[in-house]
Amino acid sequence: MHATQARIPWHRALALAALLVPGLASANTNPTIRLFPTTVVEDLRQTSAVAQEMETGLQEVIGRLDQQQQLYLDSKCEGAEGDPGCQRLSKQIGATYLEMLEIMEARLPDMEHTVNNTRLSLEKRLRSEIGTKMTSWTLQETLVGKQKTNAAAPSPSLRGRSGMRLSERFRQYYQLVASSNTSADQSLAVLASDIYLDMDETSVLIARTREEIARATLIEQLNQSFGAITPEMMEVVGGVKSILFGDAPEDIVIAGPPPGSVEKPYRSPLEQ
Amino acid sequence: MNLKTTLIVAALALLGGCAATPPPCDGPTTRNLDAAVMHVKDKLATGCTAQFDSYFDTLLTTAEGNPRPENKRVFSEFLVWTADSGLLSQRQAKDYYNRFFNVKFMTLASDYNTCSHTCPRRDRVLLDMERELSDKERGLLRVSRDDAGYYRADRLYKEVELVLEATCTACAAGR
Repeated sequence: MHATQARIPWHRALALAALLVPGLASANTNPTIRLFPTTVVEDLRQTSAVAQEMETGLQEVIGRLDQQQQLYLDSKCEGAEGDPGCQRLSKQIGATYLEMLEIMEARLPDMEHTVNNTRLSLEKRLRSEIGTKMTSWTLQETLVGKQKTNAAAPSPSLRGRSGMRLSERFRQYYQLVASSNTSADQSLAVLASDIYLDMDETSVLIARTREEIARATLIEQLNQSFGAITPEMMEVVGGVKSILFGDAPEDIVIAGPPPGSVEKPYRSPLEQ
Repeated sequence: MNLKTTLIVAALALLGGCAATPPPCDGPTTRNLDAAVMHVKDKLATGCTAQFDSYFDTLLTTAEGNPRPENKRVFSEFLVWTADSGLLSQRQAKDYYNRFFNVKFMTLASDYNTCSHTCPRRDRVLLDMERELSDKERGLLRVSRDDAGYYRADRLYKEVELVLEATCTACAAGR
């Protein structure tokens, strides 16, 4: 009885699969490029979650570091490094800085792993779907298709997403990909390229940061003996803040055509 | 009259004759595009085919003086005529038309896959696209007043640039 109820007719199963698997629903109407299989979408979701964990872990310690730095400045400790009170403050700042480095050291391998997973999946997809299955002309036709059929739909902005929280950036990528449909292959090609290049850069940055953390930790451990605040320390903290938490994102303004009457465009028999 | 004098007189007579008759392959001087096209057709039909590029450029300049969407049709019909007359091949006529009046880039015409053909010469392709974009600016924006078409081409150029950067990086990583 239970077994009979659990069986799903094959056509219903196919219909369900068509809804769940991007690309299948319109496979018989238009050739589709499969840039975002479920594995890539899942990788993106996971990257966003890992980035958020890292931000949450660092938020408190960076907030504390900000307060300590402000106290150091308010106490006019710059130039008064010999003062015992200032020395104590310096050591506290140094200790918090070390704490920040430790959290990053602990979280970065996870981050590196998920970013690399996404990057490699997209790399494979881009290579096969656009690199080997398309000519530059068919790629162009795919991209132009969007502008003809979907001109009013918001298109992904191109590159330059710095100034945005890392987790927010990946969350937006995830949402764009997860909510996309196959009628917008063209946008997906741009989106996949954008994410891939972003991941590529992020991957290099994470690898460099991990190398630097070991060095910075050693230097700070030495500094703890002297209680000095180095300009490098301030710079590292500033860098981490801008990478993780970003600045206020600027609206990207794309020039639109000047207002004018929309005339039915002429189509030449020579047009390709 | 000695021989020297006779030659000088004959040379002067020839020069005078040249000044009186217009050069055989002169370009149109009218500001009216339709009249200019008629003039160019006439010249091309009487053997001035070597001047085709210069005539086409003059026609574009003439059309820039009176930009309007109908100009696309004028150029299309002119190019169809050149192909029908055997002055240009169908392919050349299409190249001319699409280079100036279509959103798509003729630079990207290729029969081979992106990894093997476009990526190895990506810089060259992008440079050629940039040049083509400036021709489209002339044809779409300044001649046909097709602002939307030109902005689409501009956006397409940026998208192709981005997608090629990513795809070619992926292709290189897979080698």
